[in-house]
Amino acid sequence: MSHHLFILSPSDTPIYSLTHYSNKPAQTTSYPLSSNLPSWSTSAFAGTLTALSGASSATQSHHVQGGGARMGGGQDRHVIQMIANASLDVIEDVMRKESAMYLKSVDRFNEWTVSAFITPGNTKFILLHESKNEEGIRGFLHEVWEVYLKAMLNPFQTAHTIIRSSVFDGRVRTSAKKYL
Amino acid sequence: MIPYAFASLAHVQILLLPVGQIPRATFDAYAAEIRTFESIRLGDIPGDAKDERARFMPSPLSSGYLHLSFPSHPTLPAHSPLSLFRPSHFNLGIIGIAVCSSSHPSSSALEQFGNTLADIYPEHSTFPLAKTCFAFQDDDEPNVGLGENPPSLAIIPNAMGNKRLYIGTLLADLCSQILGEFGHLVHTLETPLGNEYLNGTLFPTLPAAAEMPFALDSSSFPTHSTQSELVVSHLSTPVSNGVTRSSPGLGILHGSNAVLQRHSSLGPSTVKKRVTAVGTTSSHARLFKLYGDFFLLAGRPQDARIWYQEALNSFKTGMDPVWQASAMEGLAVISVLDSWAAGQGLASISDTKDPWMEINEQLSQAVAIYLKASVPSDAVQDYSLLAFVYTSAVLRQTSLLFCVWSSKGWGPFAFASMLQPGATSYWQKVISDNSWVNLERLSAITGITRSQIANTVSQAHGPWLLHLGLPERLVVLRSMANIYSCMGYRRKEAYVLREVISCIMDLVVCGRDEDYQLRRSDVGSAGLAVRTAGLQNGDDITPTGNGSLAFRPNEKMQGNQSVLRVLTYACRALGVDVESVNVAAPPNAEEDNTDPDIIPFEAMSLAESLNSSFGWPELQVGVMREAIAVAEALPDPLAVARFALSALKAMHSILPANDQSHLYQTASRALAMIRRRGDASMIEYWAGHPIQSIAVLPLPLHRIPAEKPRSLLATSSSTPHAISIVPGSTNDLFLYNPRKSVNTQSKTIIVQNELAELVITLRNPFVFDLELHNVSLITSGVEVECRTISSIMIPANSIHVVTVSATAKKPGVLTIKGCIVHAFNGAPKRFFLPVSTEAEEEHQSRRHSMMLCESGRTKYSGLDAWPWDKGGKHFTHSLLPSKLKTRFLECVVVPEQPLLRLRWTSLTHAAVMLYNGEKSTIRLTLENVSALPIDFLTLSFEDSTIAPAQEALAEGQLDVFETYETEYDLIHQRAFSWNRDKDIKVIDPGQKIVVSVACFGKAKCTGATVRVSYAHARRNDESGATPEIFYTRQLTYPMTVTVYHMLECHNMNVVPLDAFSDIGDDALQRDSDPHEWCLFSIEVRNTYGLPFEVTFDRTQQADAPDATTRSIVPPGSTSRILLPIRRFRLSDDVISRRTPILSDRQFVVSKSSLTDAEDKIQRELFWYREELLHIIHARWKEANGSRHGDLSLRQQCMKMHMLNALKTDLTRIDVSLAQRCPEEPAVILSGGTFIVASNTVVSMVAKITNTGPSPLAMMLDVSTSPEEHVLLQGSLTDIALGRVESGQSRIVEVPLCFLSVGYFEIAVEARQLGVAGEKRRTGVARLWARVKEDDSLRTTSSDLE
Repeated sequence: MSHHLFILSPSDTPIYSLTHYSNKPAQTTSYPLSSNLPSWSTSAFAGTLTALSGASSATQSHHVQGGGARMGGGQDRHVIQMIANASLDVIEDVMRKESAMYLKSVDRFNEWTVSAFITPGNTKFILLHESKNEEGIRGFLHEVWEVYLKAMLNPFQTAHTIIRSSVFDGRVRTSAKKYL
Repeated sequence: MIPYAFASLAHVQILLLPVGQIPRATFDAYAAEIRTFESIRLGDIPGDAKDERARFMPSPLSSGYLHLSFPSHPTLPAHSPLSLFRPSHFNLGIIGIAVCSSSHPSSSALEQFGNTLADIYPEHSTFPLAKTCFAFQDDDEPNVGLGENPPSLAIIPNAMGNKRLYIGTLLADLCSQILGEFGHLVHTLETPLGNEYLNGTLFPTLPAAAEMPFALDSSSFPTHSTQSELVVSHLSTPVSNGVTRSSPGLGILHGSNAVLQRHSSLGPSTVKKRVTAVGTTSSHARLFKLYGDFFLLAGRPQDARIWYQEALNSFKTGMDPVWQASAMEGLAVISVLDSWAAGQGLASISDTKDPWMEINEQLSQAVAIYLKASVPSDAVQDYSLLAFVYTSAVLRQTSLLFCVWSSKGWGPFAFASMLQPGATSYWQKVISDNSWVNLERLSAITGITRSQIANTVSQAHGPWLLHLGLPERLVVLRSMANIYSCMGYRRKEAYVLREVISCIMDLVVCGRDEDYQLRRSDVGSAGLAVRTAGLQNGDDITPTGNGSLAFRPNEKMQGNQSVLRVLTYACRALGVDVESVNVAAPPNAEEDNTDPDIIPFEAMSLAESLNSSFGWPELQVGVMREAIAVAEALPDPLAVARFALSALKAMHSILPANDQSHLYQTASRALAMIRRRGDASMIEYWAGHPIQSIAVLPLPLHRIPAEKPRSLLATSSSTPHAISIVPGSTNDLFLYNPRKSVNTQSKTIIVQNELAELVITLRNPFVFDLELHNVSLITSGVEVECRTISSIMIPANSIHVVTVSATAKKPGVLTIKGCIVHAFNGAPKRFFLPVSTEAEEEHQSRRHSMMLCESGRTKYSGLDAWPWDKGGKHFTHSLLPSKLKTRFLECVVVPEQPLLRLRWTSLTHAAVMLYNGEKSTIRLTLENVSALPIDFLTLSFEDSTIAPAQEALAEGQLDVFETYETEYDLIHQRAFSWNRDKDIKVIDPGQKIVVSVACFGKAKCTGATVRVSYAHARRNDESGATPEIFYTRQLTYPMTVTVYHMLECHNMNVVPLDAFSDIGDDALQRDSDPHEWCLFSIEVRNTYGLPFEVTFDRTQQADAPDATTRSIVPPGSTSRILLPIRRFRLSDDVISRRTPILSDRQFVVSKSSLTDAEDKIQRELFWYREELLHIIHARWKEANGSRHGDLSLRQQCMKMHMLNALKTDLTRIDVSLAQRCPEEPAVILSGGTFIVASNTVVSMVAKITNTGPSPLAMMLDVSTSPEEHVLLQGSLTDIALGRVESGQSRIVEVPLCFLSVGYFEIAVEARQLGVAGEKRRTGVARLWARVKEDDSLRTTSSDLE
């Protein structure tokens, strides 16, 4: 089961991203409709469509029975980013009406559920996950926030600078292991 | 295909089909007229059918409506398995629209109609149930027989007044037929075999009538009578309950119990009968559901509701989830229809809070059931159809929420938009104003949030989309995109649009591989999808497939353009402007006059600097790649080039190197293809702002024309060259001239008809080598001939310098405004490069700081932060455009100039070797190599001693004397000067002349330069007016100078003559009057390796003859030179003058802190020294050679005692000793010394003569030494002389007696009364006395005697 975390600057540029594979088995219910997909791929464009509609990951997990389907590379990576980016629409909409920083399961697209965390500085943490783990995600995002705040104390770190700190990365990974 | 209507389940679809050669516009007009019938009252439908066909017929007085929809496309053949599952999906009726006239009889129209139908529908398909052809009469000929037409043809005469009414009637007839056919169909299915077919597969179909094992109408009503007991025995109770419960309701609504009874008795009775007949092999739930469908279509929702309930009860077991969900969908639609009907009947709208909640719930359930439904067989088609049904259910649910939301709540508008989505303009209204406030207002009113709608619609998105056929997939994706767009979810829309494009492109690409027919239909639907995707674009469906042979069957570009437009739109949502590089406008003449006041440079740099901060770089790169791939596949080379170049322009900062190169190659390839095809369209210039700077290369030194005032011409002939001591002060009256600095700053001078070179600095920010086709200059002012540079290759990531040569054709002012840059296959672009002025720079820096300030902050986030908005919106209000007039690089083009060349010199290796003070001559041969005569020639010189001297002068730290010396040195002792022995008037073209330059060996001089300034000044100007200025050119000849230092003078001294009384020189002896003469002495040392002969000349007034002293100074030794000088006295006028200032410096304030008296002495010293140096002239000559020169004495300084010795005293004092009486021993004068006997009284006689010009009141002081051995009478000091007139004398006699033998010296000093200090002494005289014993004196005198 994989989680994808993106930290987006206020101008929607990712300043940090993390793909986390947890050992917990994916508890996704596979629908009969998404099985037995036609495996035609006549042109490159069909490939794009397959990826964007989530079919490639579906077939992948279909074929690799239960064994943690590794995702996050290649075309899928792009699709995940697209989904994260598209979820900004809903996030921006919801965050203007709700005062909460943690927006749980704010959007859902293909097999992904999107949870978000908005810092007061309008930096968005977007987490794509497949299964429900509300408390874990809340804890994770809060911890990421704390680490993020510490990273932002660096006077050379602005809201738009890509976070390259290995300490930051390590801590986020640790809390991902802990919560997700 | 129209967007999904919520109530499509209740729509009777009637296909409008053009028949025959009907023009498109005519067809559209008639079709529009027919489409106005959105619904037909049930009461209008003729219900005169019999037997089973009458089952769905409305009663004549029923008040419901039949809803119609008029698609323009036939249902896809692939959907035919749905024919029993969802009859509303099919074209139940067909109306052919034909035009008939006398030439086209209606019969032929009918025939064509039949043919068209045969093309569209297979022979034995269930649908259409009814068909008719409307033949609109074109002309007024009335002879077309109305009566004899077959029933499937209706002729609408042109003359008919109320066509609409007639069409309505015809439509009602058609509907009646359709309803009749419903009955017929149901009748077939009611048979046991029919029911078996119905339950056979997930999506069952009826075989063709001919293949049915028995005639459909064979066993129609045999068990009609057994109805009542069957109800009791076989049907489960809920069903009967449902029927009984609903009956009163039906009665109320329909108002006709008879009809109700007929239908309610007919429907269930037959079913129950069938159940008994067939047994329990198959459930009849599907049949109930089908009843519901048909009743819904027939405009009788109450009946439909009953049957749906019935069906749901039967489906409770969950055996048939798909049909169950479908029944739930039907129920949901009925709820809306009821509400609509209530609204139509002006009944009050339901008071319940959110009635749509319930419907929504119902649909959610249906959607969930669909999703979980498993497909029994692995038939691909079933998956496809199930996915279709599922997605349409999701869209139906979305449509419910969206319609309520966009219509501001549950009300008539919402119902209307759900029933007839095309008829209401709410979507457009929402699209037109999708500001956040407006969208939120809708959410607030309705209680439906946008995220709710988004979440609903996103259910349709998933892997199952791949099950769908391409056209359905397109429709689903398009509908999703539409919804997202309306809600302002741009990014989600972009996501879906990418899929839409992939889908279309897949069709396009696949279409090429298949046969032409298939290709056409696929691409056609693709084009349609684009057209209806909410973008108002091309009106035509264009086959875009190119075929494998790469021929274009259709030259229409709308299809491709539409695809690209969707693509661009999607890219923009991700922050990529793929069209930032536009197609160049065709060049026109007006463009040349564009006002360069608008500086695109700034705006561009601003945008560039802000661009990088927005968006998701990885996604941007991805979407950009995809866009290029799409454009390549279309193929649209122009778009490929535009996209690729836009990507390079906007994203070169985030693109990796190999991508940049790839994009560039792609663009180049595409552009080459455009050109090969002969397409004239060009891409505008894209590669940033390549021009960094333009500069005019300074001319080589010998070609630079210098501006000179014309007055110089007049003076040059009379006086020698102007002398400049202080640099920069030659021509200008003022040391600081404010106007001068303004003018000379940025003016570059180039010469007419001569090649000027300009340096253009180009920058390539990309990682590949950028190739430019050519670069040329934009100039204004005088005509200029400029060579354009072609094929410039700017290396990657670097700055490149190219040189352009230009030749100005006329004198005047040339303004270089910028460059036209022409990339390969692109349009030329003009870049203006203003000269950076102070204001401009300030403006720039303000912009820069503002950008820096802005870049750290985020006032606008998300989509508001789009860079193209940012540039305009966020900055304009704060930064006013500069009002300053832009200035450009200006060159002054001066008239043609002659050119002089140094042909020959008398020097070898341009080296001059001189002894210090030596004079020699060098000759230069000059040649005029131009076509113009030279009529002005002047030489000026510069040597290495001038600059330090000038610097010292400019610093002003020197005292008056040093200043004078330095200035004198600069002016009178120039290392080089021009011997203007013969005046050169004109040098004709090709002529050679020789000029000679005098050299003077000056110590410390190491290098020198001869500058030959020349001009063609007196030219015949055609205008007649002589300009105030003319231009000169300068030829420079540098030389190395070596000056050997060999003789040193020091210890110059001037002493009174009597100081050297023992010198036995004849000349001295002769002029031994110490009052008249003094002695000049100096030591000359030879530091060189050769002997030199030194000659000192004295040139004084006529009363003293010239005298010369010669001496050979051997190497390393020192010689003292002595030379008597006649003493002189300068008049007070002369010595009271200030030390002159030789330069024309101004504001020379004396900074000396000397007192007046000291100052006076200084002046006196100065002037006497000047006179002395004037008198004494020193030369040297090689002892055994011919070289000679001057020896400078100017380093020597004058001391006070020298001055006193040199200056003639005011009074002449003659002192002598005389005998007092004859018996006393005589006073003998021997060799200037008086010999006196001791102890003898002698008289010292002093004769004081006033030689000055004015009378003097004087006193006399006498002093002896040693003092103690002399006896005197009276006072020796302050002996009053009284007033002595000029030329008169006084004699003072003092008796004295020497008491011992020895040498005595008596000094007499006359001083002026009333004058203090040194000045008071007017004259002095001395005498030396040798005092001897009296005897010895006598013997001496006797010896003498």
